[in-house]
Amino acid sequence: MSKIKSIFVRIIDNIDLTFVISLAYLLFIGFIAIYSASSNISGNKYITTQFVALFIGLIGMFLLVNFNYQYYKYIGKFIYLFSCILLVLVLFFGTEHKGTKGWFDLPFFSFQPVEITKLMLILSIATFIDKHWKEVTKISVFIKTLCFTIIHFLLIMLQPDFSSTLSYFPITLVMLYVAGAKLTHIFSVILYGSISVVIPLLITFFKLQPNIVQSSSILSFFVNVPSSLQSIAFISCSIILIIVLIKWFLCKIKINISWRYTIIFFCIIIAGALSSVVVNKTLKEYQRKRLIVFLNPVIDSRGAGYNIIQSKITIGSGKFSGKKFFKGQQTQLGFLPEQRTDFIFSVIGEEGGYFIAQLTLLFYFLFIWRALVVAKQAKDRFGSLVAIGIATMFAFYSVINLGMVMGLMPVTGLPLLLVSYGGSSMMSSIFAVGILVSIHIRRFY
Amino acid sequence: MSWNNSDKYEYECFLEKYKNIMLIFVFFFIVLSVRLFYLQIIKGSYYRNISDIQRLNRTYEKAFRGFIYDTNEQIIVNNSTNYVALFYPFEQQYEPTKESIKKLNDILKRDISHSIEKSWRYGRVVKLAENLTIEEVFKIQENRLFLPGIHIVRDPKRICYNSIENAHIIGYVNELKFEEIENIEDTDLKVGDIIGRCGIEQYYDKYLRGKTGGFYFEVNARGRHNKTFTYEQPVMGNHLYLTVDSKLQTVAYEALKNSSSGKGAAVAIDVRTGAIKCFVSCPSYDLNKISSPKNYRTYLKDKNLPFFNRCIQALYPPGSIFKIITFIAALEYLNYNPYIIQYCTGYFELGDRVYSCSLRTGHKKINLISAMAYSCNTYFYTLGLELGVRVIVEYAKMFRLGEKTGIDIASEKKGFIPTPEWKKSKMKMAWLKGDTAILAIGQGALWVTPLQMANLMVTIANRGRSYKPYLVEKIVDSNTKEIIFQHQSIENARIELDEYTWQQLHKSLEAAVDYGSAKRTKFKNIKVAAKTGTAENPHGKDHAWVVAYAPSDNPKLALAVIVENGGFGGKVSVPVARKIFKQYFNIVDEPEDIELIQEGKNVKN
Repeated sequence: MSKIKSIFVRIIDNIDLTFVISLAYLLFIGFIAIYSASSNISGNKYITTQFVALFIGLIGMFLLVNFNYQYYKYIGKFIYLFSCILLVLVLFFGTEHKGTKGWFDLPFFSFQPVEITKLMLILSIATFIDKHWKEVTKISVFIKTLCFTIIHFLLIMLQPDFSSTLSYFPITLVMLYVAGAKLTHIFSVILYGSISVVIPLLITFFKLQPNIVQSSSILSFFVNVPSSLQSIAFISCSIILIIVLIKWFLCKIKINISWRYTIIFFCIIIAGALSSVVVNKTLKEYQRKRLIVFLNPVIDSRGAGYNIIQSKITIGSGKFSGKKFFKGQQTQLGFLPEQRTDFIFSVIGEEGGYFIAQLTLLFYFLFIWRALVVAKQAKDRFGSLVAIGIATMFAFYSVINLGMVMGLMPVTGLPLLLVSYGGSSMMSSIFAVGILVSIHIRRFY
Repeated sequence: MSWNNSDKYEYECFLEKYKNIMLIFVFFFIVLSVRLFYLQIIKGSYYRNISDIQRLNRTYEKAFRGFIYDTNEQIIVNNSTNYVALFYPFEQQYEPTKESIKKLNDILKRDISHSIEKSWRYGRVVKLAENLTIEEVFKIQENRLFLPGIHIVRDPKRICYNSIENAHIIGYVNELKFEEIENIEDTDLKVGDIIGRCGIEQYYDKYLRGKTGGFYFEVNARGRHNKTFTYEQPVMGNHLYLTVDSKLQTVAYEALKNSSSGKGAAVAIDVRTGAIKCFVSCPSYDLNKISSPKNYRTYLKDKNLPFFNRCIQALYPPGSIFKIITFIAALEYLNYNPYIIQYCTGYFELGDRVYSCSLRTGHKKINLISAMAYSCNTYFYTLGLELGVRVIVEYAKMFRLGEKTGIDIASEKKGFIPTPEWKKSKMKMAWLKGDTAILAIGQGALWVTPLQMANLMVTIANRGRSYKPYLVEKIVDSNTKEIIFQHQSIENARIELDEYTWQQLHKSLEAAVDYGSAKRTKFKNIKVAAKTGTAENPHGKDHAWVVAYAPSDNPKLALAVIVENGGFGGKVSVPVARKIFKQYFNIVDEPEDIELIQEGKNVKN
């Protein structure tokens, strides 16, 4: 009893008011938007589910706040093992929804393990990095850390759930960066990843615009080669040629770069180009279109570009004063797709207007800023790493989601955590908040 | 202080990187805020507008076009209703779903899928089926939930009485096609609107059209009605009152149809005003049947060209009718005494060429009056050569040949008068005396329309006074019954000739009816003046002409009749003219003289 009391005292003494207010605001506006987007068709169904998820989340949060985060260090291995088991189990016993086998059908609700394994991965990576702090600059540790993520990544891609895996590498890389990994390593991974993704996407993009391709002979040469492998070979050859030229030029002006780096650079580009073939095969046509069409949604306004166009119209039509909640025509008449989940911010923008939308942005910013401050003030290295991981998760999700609804980023299907509808993501977000608070209230002890 | 003191340096490093992450993150949120500002404040009105456009929809209820009456206020064109099923696109659905097509097929018991492929589109709207019965309409309305985006619209349909003989006056209407919309300056029109394509319907389209109405409503993303805002009643177009006489039309068309070739045109004009009383081109098409593409194609393929408006679009050589011009020129220019007698041998030699007269055996001794009456070519060859081509052309131009009459129907041809300059530049040949000779009897590259000939007769009957021919007497607002347009006769510049010339000309034209080539238009009580013509046609049988006016002492009606490839004017065209006069002047029970009929067979020109 006294222990619980002392925890309360601790929470109240050490609570970060900005953090709590912004969290409360986000939850509140999320509930209003979800209710507005769903009530006229399905009544209270979704809002109830969301409340239940929040309630469970809050219970879990309370337990997590009580739990000293430092113990995670000792059970890190088991957490990782458990998360892998969850992901394997869902492949066998999960139920399929929209082509993704990623849900456990529990008696009252279905549960998506991906949401919770995300947190587990952050904890286990933090454990690993904390243990190998001194050697984190070594490539072996770097690769081992990446392996944690890659295993998860592969397991999730088996479901397949492409969008959920998107945040994994950024989170891992940021954690490694903060821990002190070499920039060369990090940039190599980023370069490799972006080459392998960007090439097939660009090809898809240009295929959507036949007239542009026709007007430029170089483009049509690359796009119209029979197989993507060939075109990739052409592209990588030309890139390598450019690199050699630059290298030669740098030598001329007496800036010497070791051949070793140049060769590594070559290898990364070629590896990236090769794996882009795999990416091209793995991602379905409509996914590739969806990812790239944001650059110019009009070229496929009835297909892949539809969501972005409607989302922009929805947000823009709110103007300054908004159309008032439950009265936004874009939302209520169903022009806005996925309005409860991915495009919830558009609902806020349309019905709440510029002021509310900007306020939501601001509070999201404050929320993440305070989460980062938790990392800064944490008592130990492990706490900082975990907090950085979680803050990065929130930041990455929010930037990608908000960028998507405003037509700046690809349509990836990432929800706006804490605001979007979705039981599992709500729960895991609240859990994450619980871990943050747990780190925060123990910063002095 | 965080972390262990021993890690102080590392903590510093951590803070360094932490700052970078903070910066990147702040940068992203600034970008997002700017973007939000841009979307909602700068482009807000633009997007609000788009959002309104996609949620606000309307149906188009076409207005009834105005009625068209004839001169006796008898209705010629009115409307009936036609129910049409339209598909309005919504969300990502730009064509009706397969299920709804199947459902519609079940209801209508016919296959409508082809109408989608053919894409009877009004921009984005697709026309699925027309001519629905009331039962089908109710069934579709009952099943509305299963037929997303499909609406029933009431479309007016044009109905014409005496639809064949009036076809060329009235003209047909149909929907404005997508390809045409760019070339149309009228911004009120949109794809799918009914517009007149020819005739009165085209010329007076703006008056007849009316104003489209319809429901304004809000749709959801699935294209279903959410709520209706307003209903705008379509406004009916204005009524037109024509100058033509429906009965006269029927008589004239029947007469032309039963003539030797069944092809031709008849135009009758009120001498006192220029009002067109009869305007028939034969063969014609059925206005009520033309909306079906199948009939339309049959008409298009018809070798007799039913769409060809022979009254104003066909160009014929005037033949002997042109002798009127030569006659006038001779009397005016040469002060020629019409009683000078010449001897007609039946042919006329000019250099090494021989031009024949209408009567092979020759008219023997003949003066100019009789030469007009009997249509003697020889006399006019001589006259023509005496006059010279320039004088003839001058007088032809004075009588407005080679220029449009200005009738209120589009695509009128203006005809042609040949000149030596034209022949030189076009055919690279010098103008010969022979050309002048045949020009004097209305042959050669001389082209006129039947309307021009009728108008010529108006001028002659009025002793030089003529009017712009017109078809529409007045336009009346369909709601207020207010007259919004009343035709005022527009007089052309009067042609001043010597009174003696008019007298002699009238005398000669009466003589043609009295004892000459147009005997068969002779009536007991009404004096008729006429001139027949047989225009030589290098491509087939001669065209049979007659121009006339009556009564000759107090002219009321002037007319021109041509029977294409008909043969001799006196034999073929004159009976048609007779029937028109008979109907117009209400002459009953005056059978044609059997003798005259017998004689008519022997009469040439």
